[in-house]
Amino acid sequence: MDELEQIKVTFFQECDELLADLESGLLAMETGTDDSETVNAVFRAVHSVKGGAGAFGLEPLVRYAHVFETLLDDVRSNKIGTSPDLIRAMLRAADVLADQVTAARTGGTPNKVATAAMVAELEAWIAGDAAMATASAAEATTASAPPADDGMDFDFKPMTVAVEDFTPVAAIATTDDDLGIAFTPMTVEIPDLDAETAPEPEGEQVWLINFRPLASLYSKANETALLMRELERLGPIEPVLDINDLPGLDALEPEGAYLAWTVTLTTDASEELIRDVFEFVSDDCDLTIARAGADLTDVQEMDVHQEPAPEAIDPIAALIAQAKAPPPVEEIASLHSAEANAPVASETLAPIQVSTPSSTPKPAPPRAGGGEPAAAQATIRVDPERIDRLIDLVGELVINQAMLAQRVGEHGFAPSSDIAMGLDELEQLTRGIQDSVMAIRAQQVKSVFQRMPRLVREVAAQTGKAARLIMEGEATEVDKTVIERLSDPITHMLRNAIDHGLESPEERVAAGKPAEGAVRLAALHRGGRIVIEVEDDGRGINRPRVRQIAIDKGLIAADAALTDDEVDNLIFLPGFSTADKVSEVSGRGVGMDVVRRSVQALGGRISIASRPGEGSTFTLSLPLTLAVLDGMVVDVAGHTLVVPLTAIIESLRPKPEDVKALGPQGAVLAVRDAYVPLVDIGSVLGFRSGSIAAPEGVVLLVESEDGGRAGLVADAIHGQRQVVIKSLESNYRQVEGIAAATILGDGRVALILDVDAVVAMRRREAPRPPEPILHAAE
Amino acid sequence: MKILTVDDSRTMRDMLRMALVKAGFNVVEAVDGEHGLEVLNANGADVIITDINMPKLDGFGFIEAVREDAAYRATPILVLTTESDPAKKDRARKAGATGWIVKPFHPDKLVEAIRRVAA
Repeated sequence: MDELEQIKVTFFQECDELLADLESGLLAMETGTDDSETVNAVFRAVHSVKGGAGAFGLEPLVRYAHVFETLLDDVRSNKIGTSPDLIRAMLRAADVLADQVTAARTGGTPNKVATAAMVAELEAWIAGDAAMATASAAEATTASAPPADDGMDFDFKPMTVAVEDFTPVAAIATTDDDLGIAFTPMTVEIPDLDAETAPEPEGEQVWLINFRPLASLYSKANETALLMRELERLGPIEPVLDINDLPGLDALEPEGAYLAWTVTLTTDASEELIRDVFEFVSDDCDLTIARAGADLTDVQEMDVHQEPAPEAIDPIAALIAQAKAPPPVEEIASLHSAEANAPVASETLAPIQVSTPSSTPKPAPPRAGGGEPAAAQATIRVDPERIDRLIDLVGELVINQAMLAQRVGEHGFAPSSDIAMGLDELEQLTRGIQDSVMAIRAQQVKSVFQRMPRLVREVAAQTGKAARLIMEGEATEVDKTVIERLSDPITHMLRNAIDHGLESPEERVAAGKPAEGAVRLAALHRGGRIVIEVEDDGRGINRPRVRQIAIDKGLIAADAALTDDEVDNLIFLPGFSTADKVSEVSGRGVGMDVVRRSVQALGGRISIASRPGEGSTFTLSLPLTLAVLDGMVVDVAGHTLVVPLTAIIESLRPKPEDVKALGPQGAVLAVRDAYVPLVDIGSVLGFRSGSIAAPEGVVLLVESEDGGRAGLVADAIHGQRQVVIKSLESNYRQVEGIAAATILGDGRVALILDVDAVVAMRRREAPRPPEPILHAAE
Repeated sequence: MKILTVDDSRTMRDMLRMALVKAGFNVVEAVDGEHGLEVLNANGADVIITDINMPKLDGFGFIEAVREDAAYRATPILVLTTESDPAKKDRARKAGATGWIVKPFHPDKLVEAIRRVAA
């Protein structure tokens, strides 16, 4: 990747941070924080997106950001007062900006209708027409309502209106001149300039330039000598110094400006290019530029044979340039051949580039070190791959330590022996290292949470609900592997809470609630797991209705005795949908059953608790890491397997009279007053044909995806152990019924069972003879 | 020649550094006006290129603070900004800016602007 491409990657990373800053700033403003620093930060975010986009020629992004920036500038300068309507509009504008950034990043097409509508709305705000803005907003909402889509996201279908259809309110600050760095020339007072209007002749011309610096020119660190050098790049110059105004030493102001020059320049460059040389100083000098012969009277009156002033007489240059005063005029003339084309950087020091690690997302603010020690840095940035590697190594260390402990035990060392006690210490240290390393890779859930305010706005807009999102515990940390899996379930829970949980504003007002519903998204640590709660203050679950639907769909018996909690959790059953009609938001064929299944696949649990009329709370809990797992080590037909502890409700040794045969190979087990199907792990995975008689083995009672229970039959239980998860997919390939693998203390590889998959396989394949495991995977 | 770049945007700092290093300059960087003053005092600079919109201390305040220090009264300061707003440019000039560079800039033009203000 070349350097510019790398900077472009940096730009988009920075955009993500800026968009997050923008949103959090706007949300802060929404809650009444409208101090100037917050408003400025919001402005800067959009401003910086625009600046970077301009550098990469991302024109549509620049154009859109410019309109948004213009509005924010007006807000910043109090030309436009903030109001809830305006902030909501800006939040939507931020969403559109995020879409624009995504489109620029992926080379895709942003929703042009939504963009054009948003631009119209922003311009209406800029024009101070709130009513029109509101009308535009209504249009925008209509335009942006996406067609039904069974995907998880809110990608809009592209429409056929060109983005060029909108015109930004003001000219955009991009370079339209060929200089790139040049501003449009400022108005300069030019007296007696009759020649100005003459047509531009071709070829070399002789120009007379009268240049009288004011004191302010020097106070801004401009230098006459450099201007002469620039002029000389256009052609040969003959500068003549005018010291007529130079007072005697007693009257000389150290910081005054007393010198003037008349320069004869022979060049084929246009007057505009000559004027460009004086661009930075045009307000700080008296300047006339005229073709020779146009008006020579002034020049002829001057004493053209005036001696060049010694540099010490030029007080300003002497003072402020610290002995780098402009050389005498004749020297300037001599620059022509010798130095005019010399590179600016005549010093040949090696560049001290402040290095930026290429693969880290955000380089630390560089504190270039001089003689003083740099301030202690709060954070260091490390390539994530290095941490993953470290975690792998620590995993190996844990395994190795367990193997060593087992060997030592086998060789008959007493637990009180030095070796055994040393090993105990080693084990504690190993655990400590493992915990510390996992803590390094831990990330705040903020990265997932910060995408949610937008989701809530969009779902609320689509469903006609008014919703306010309250987030708590954004700083809660969890392993990177889990962070990546949180987004989908949270998205689903929030959608469900708004679509099904919250009532319409009218219903809410009628029920004596505020028209705007509150949805709380919280993260916390509990019992070594991360818990995510999504709580709404809506109507709660309509239990009689849920129960009736479950009965109608044959999910429960008509006379089933269920607690309120059990009724609430019926919504997680496959195929259950409470929506009267398929709505755009929830009716996408992806129900809460899918969410539950994916959560359980991660060793997590999800449940809902409801208070009729007051609201519902989804609770999701996940292990803090997917790198290690607490498991039950079992023996099945000579193979060692690990069953995740989270799936196991209890283990039992069944009495023969509790097992009832069901069909040729099936059997059920009476557990207290219920029957659970027995699943022989060995035959499902193809380790053996035919089932063992359950009473000879051990039954692990597990809860499977649909909340139903099953008894997994194993030959023997070895014990409970924390194991390091090794992905089977990355080391071998995906195998049905197996979630991952691990290495046990004795060095053997053990497969980690995917409990839900095994139960499902059994259900599906019950009538058929067992197949070899590798075929089953295909 | 040592150039100090002051900009809160990492993208812009990277762009500047790429162009300046390629042209043979030494580059030191700062992320806002306050940091700019710290870096300037610790390292010095022959030319300063600064953004205007920055947190903590903006470009105007930064330029004024630099000019107040006798040691840097003659240090050329170029203002880097997307604004074509004359009022903003005038404010920067009043604060003591030597010249300006309009973003987005072409690397050659960046070097040209430096040449106009530095020996």
